[in-house]
Amino acid sequence: MAVAPIEDILARGSAIADEVEVHIVRGRAVSADLKRRQVSRAAESRHFGLSIRTIQEGRIGSSSTSNPAEWERCLDAALASGSLATPQPWNGLPDPVPLDPRPIAYDPSLTPDPAVIREILSGMIEGASAHPVEVTSGGASISTATVTIANSHGVHYSRESSSISASIETIRGHSTGYEFGNSWTRDIDPVAIGERAGFLAAESAGGTDIRTGVYDVILSPVAFAQLLGAALIPALSGRNVHAGRSRLAGSRGMVVIDPTLSLSDDPFHPGGLSGTRWDAEGTPTRRLSFIREGVLEQFAYDLKTAFRYGQESTGSAVRTGHGGAPAIGHHNLVVDGPRMDPMIERAVYVQDVVGAHTANPLSGDFSVELTNPFIVEDGEYESPVRKAMLSGNVFGMLERIGGLGKDERVIGSSILPSIRLKDQHIIGT
Amino acid sequence: MDGIRYYDIRHVFGQSVHIEIDNGVTESAGTSFFDHAVIRALTRAGWGILTIDNFQDTREPDVENLVREAGAISAITGEVVVLADVTRGMRTVPRMQEDPRDVSIGEKTHLLGAIERAARIEGVVNTKATYMERFENVEFRDSSGAVASYGICRSGFGIMAVAGRNGSLQMGYERRHSIQGLNLRHQQELGRISGERAVALLDALPARGGTMNAVLDPELAGVFAHEAVGHASEGDLIQEGNSVLAGKTGERIGSDIVTIVDDPSLPEFGFEPCDAEGVRTERTEIIRNGVVAGFLHSRETLAAVGNGHAGHARAMPGEPPLVRMSNTFIEAGTSRKDELIAECRDGILLMGSRGGQVDPGRGVFQFNAEYGYLIEKGECTRMVRDVSLSGEILRTLHAIRLCGNDVKMHQGYCGKGGQSVPVSDGAPHILLAGAMVGGSGPD
Repeated sequence: MAVAPIEDILARGSAIADEVEVHIVRGRAVSADLKRRQVSRAAESRHFGLSIRTIQEGRIGSSSTSNPAEWERCLDAALASGSLATPQPWNGLPDPVPLDPRPIAYDPSLTPDPAVIREILSGMIEGASAHPVEVTSGGASISTATVTIANSHGVHYSRESSSISASIETIRGHSTGYEFGNSWTRDIDPVAIGERAGFLAAESAGGTDIRTGVYDVILSPVAFAQLLGAALIPALSGRNVHAGRSRLAGSRGMVVIDPTLSLSDDPFHPGGLSGTRWDAEGTPTRRLSFIREGVLEQFAYDLKTAFRYGQESTGSAVRTGHGGAPAIGHHNLVVDGPRMDPMIERAVYVQDVVGAHTANPLSGDFSVELTNPFIVEDGEYESPVRKAMLSGNVFGMLERIGGLGKDERVIGSSILPSIRLKDQHIIGT
Repeated sequence: MDGIRYYDIRHVFGQSVHIEIDNGVTESAGTSFFDHAVIRALTRAGWGILTIDNFQDTREPDVENLVREAGAISAITGEVVVLADVTRGMRTVPRMQEDPRDVSIGEKTHLLGAIERAARIEGVVNTKATYMERFENVEFRDSSGAVASYGICRSGFGIMAVAGRNGSLQMGYERRHSIQGLNLRHQQELGRISGERAVALLDALPARGGTMNAVLDPELAGVFAHEAVGHASEGDLIQEGNSVLAGKTGERIGSDIVTIVDDPSLPEFGFEPCDAEGVRTERTEIIRNGVVAGFLHSRETLAAVGNGHAGHARAMPGEPPLVRMSNTFIEAGTSRKDELIAECRDGILLMGSRGGQVDPGRGVFQFNAEYGYLIEKGECTRMVRDVSLSGEILRTLHAIRLCGNDVKMHQGYCGKGGQSVPVSDGAPHILLAGAMVGGSGPD
């Protein structure tokens, strides 16, 4: 694969713009699927992405390409796009700083090896076999990537990352189960993943109806992450705050959720999948406390939003914008607070929800269908519920919680426990 | 090549334009470039798939090596794959009325800005407009000598208005996408509508949850068809035993006024001249007069499951094909909208969509309306907000009491297996009896 000439891009870019930035992701992944109990569709992908940003008198332009040989066309497109952008206050791309060279979230021994993929798939099938269920589908993948950022101020950082993931779906009659695991190192337990997916399908069979009413609800970390992502997390973005799209705007220093709850971004968390010492614009990352014991402390900023509104970047840029452009996000979102056993008292346990993305991202109102709901009591799954919806408000449900579980899971770029919620609206029969 | 029973190469390259205007500020307006290829090889072990970037620079002798590499990747699989015989050939890509590539990004930014400004009415605190344009050159060839080559441009815009009052925020959203050329001209009306809806929603009531009659507008009824029936008819899910429709061919699952179709050959947003396996696209009736009629298939799932048509394999550039919907719709009935409202008597009229999701194996789906109106004594009354519906695939089509005569298609994107593809969903207004409505309003 051709090498992207970073120095050439920076030299030519500096000649035609005030500043220029190059971001490159190069990676390899192997994967295979399960189709019932057979290993199916083995795949390898080799990918490359080059993104260029230029800044000329406060006009920010960007472009991307998958072909390093076409960097000049990409640079010209970035400059052209900048000429159409509205100029804004701009205090410059970051200067280089000495950073701890030790990688975070990288295991050099984790290589894209098809034999390991096969082993993981077999392990999950073995785990699911502990229950009277059919395996319908699943998959496993291992990927490695190198991310490089360089700019015309002399920043030139590179980091390696690794990731392993596995998932499996099971069915018993019309009762389904799904479980997954992911990590940056080889510590996922395929047998346990399969066993849990089998358990969920097997134990959810023969569910009974539940009456519409008000119940205490326990969200698993999976369900909790879905609802947080639908409304609370977007409300922490500085851009949404200043643009009038965040319900939390104007609430800094105020109690916004239950005073036992804290929310932070920890780019150095040892378990997180997205750990990094510099963000997608080369700004050094830091631990960021969004909400401490219920009090809103901080919003997330990238350079563009920070310069525009007289703030400073919080190192929160991630490459989720169009064509790999930077946007405001987080690295490892951590939810914390005092822990308890949420299953001791009677409640409706919710493994996952169907349709979290249909929540109203501004108001936080949602109504979702429940996946694998159970009545729990005395720490046990008492009986499965056939079908029910949960309606509520993401901000409202966090105002007075019942407590956080002792479990903790990595779900995408979040690390969070299960949560017990009080007095939630369940729609059954 | 030794041990390789079949291979195909799908190379997609082109460029995309993205414009975003947020509260009058042009945040971005630029072009990006892409070039991806997927090489699939079928050996006695099964599929091996290799995905690479920048295929256009690959020389012919190297192509052969890549096919061999793909074949070698299949070594860890263990399944017998049979590919059904299919009809080759391509449908004509509809001609664009105005090719977006002939219009400068500056002019497009200006046109988008007019839509964004139109949304800024009193009470609106934020407006955001986005334009997306993607021109794809697709080149397909396989080991049987089949080839297909075409270019297609998909473009369109979305406008969101946010209204705020006393700490409460609501939004109105409109989007239009097309394969038939630039659609940015004379669209300020949609900007104004999104602004007015956002403001009106500030005074809307939260819906009360429970079981009630519901009239769905064509946009939401289209999403209903997509979530309630479309996904469960996908051949890969049937083959895996992960759909409640498996084994139901010929069985009645709905009233005889219900016919649901997926048709990638229609010149709508989900159009494909041929599918990602080079198969000529055609219409598949999933439900005909309430009876399960056919499934959506790839060559592999057609051979394994039968009943239906191949030509439904679709892929994002650089991703392997999956069985997907394209243009999915409920066919027109004979009733007028006012007849549906009158027949509903007491219930809810639901409009617009924020999407939906389905668990096809369990047979349960959920989808969400942007807004609605209470129906009291056969009349539309107060506006409501944040209304979801959920239902069970095998029961829900029996609940369709009336189908309107006013089919309309709406464009969007559908996600599956980490891939997002352009689709359209459509329907007439429909009346659902005893729908399960989610809402947190007071009883």
